[in-house]
Amino acid sequence: MFLHKALHGGCCLALVSSLIAAPVFAKPISYVGGTMIMQENDETGYTLAVDYTLTPKIAVGFYGKTEISGDKFTVAGPQVNTLVKRWNLPEGQGNIFTMTGAGLAQRNGAGPNDTQFAAWTGVLADYETRRIFTSYELRLMYAQHIEKSAWQRARIGFAPYLANYDDLNTWIMLQVDHHPAKSRAISVTPMVRFFYKSFLAEGGVNTRGEVLFNWVQQF
Amino acid sequence: MRNVIVTLLTISVLTASAARAETIVATVNGMVCAFCATGIEKSFKKQTAVAAIKVDLEGRKVTVQTKPDATLGDAVVTKLITDAGYAVVDIARQP
Repeated sequence: MFLHKALHGGCCLALVSSLIAAPVFAKPISYVGGTMIMQENDETGYTLAVDYTLTPKIAVGFYGKTEISGDKFTVAGPQVNTLVKRWNLPEGQGNIFTMTGAGLAQRNGAGPNDTQFAAWTGVLADYETRRIFTSYELRLMYAQHIEKSAWQRARIGFAPYLANYDDLNTWIMLQVDHHPAKSRAISVTPMVRFFYKSFLAEGGVNTRGEVLFNWVQQF
Repeated sequence: MRNVIVTLLTISVLTASAARAETIVATVNGMVCAFCATGIEKSFKKQTAVAAIKVDLEGRKVTVQTKPDATLGDAVVTKLITDAGYAVVDIARQP
């Protein structure tokens, strides 16, 4: 109950503030000394991640998610993100990241006696140029008797115009999520992404009419 | 005569100081995403030697203007860009 209220409250507040302020989803490691807040809202729930980049290959932070479909639960705890491999090319960049954490999970509305140990890990691979974007992500979650699941996500996107550093950048994307444990396992979401300097926001509506809205702020 | 000497000395000192400011142009690989590249700008702006910075995705360049009398070595430029996640290909300097 406490975990759920804390995370849901934080996400709602963040969502409201983001709507008021205006602007998504980014690499889990930024620049050394940089802090990044990522907040995601879709038909599966609300996710909040805060990361601080320690070295070019390691970021530490917090990850939390409230699931609102299927088994409703909230999970939260510290997370370590690592850059496994990066390809810096003249016209593109490719990356492989891992995101691993451990913490507590609790069914939404349950008492503290229901709190369980949880651990999660994931791998994210992406490649982008100024014109195209592709990514693939696989996540595994273990929370004792509350949740044992895996899901995967793929994205492709293109920029309708080549924006430079000081311009508003616009991307048209297609996201496909696969949650094998859920009754509606596949979700396809056309979306649009905008970013300007250190703020990024994206939104879309999936083929079932469910809304997705994400934002990221770098400091 | 004394005023003329003082004026000339002042001009020469100012000219010498101004000459010490320089423009550093780094060619960078991997710099394709404006959102991600903001780390470069933020890192350089924390340096006291930096007067201005410009990131150009199209030209793959990071241009840094130093303050008069300030210096920024190649090693520092390379570290700041590498720490932001990119690869430095070349560094050129213009007085």
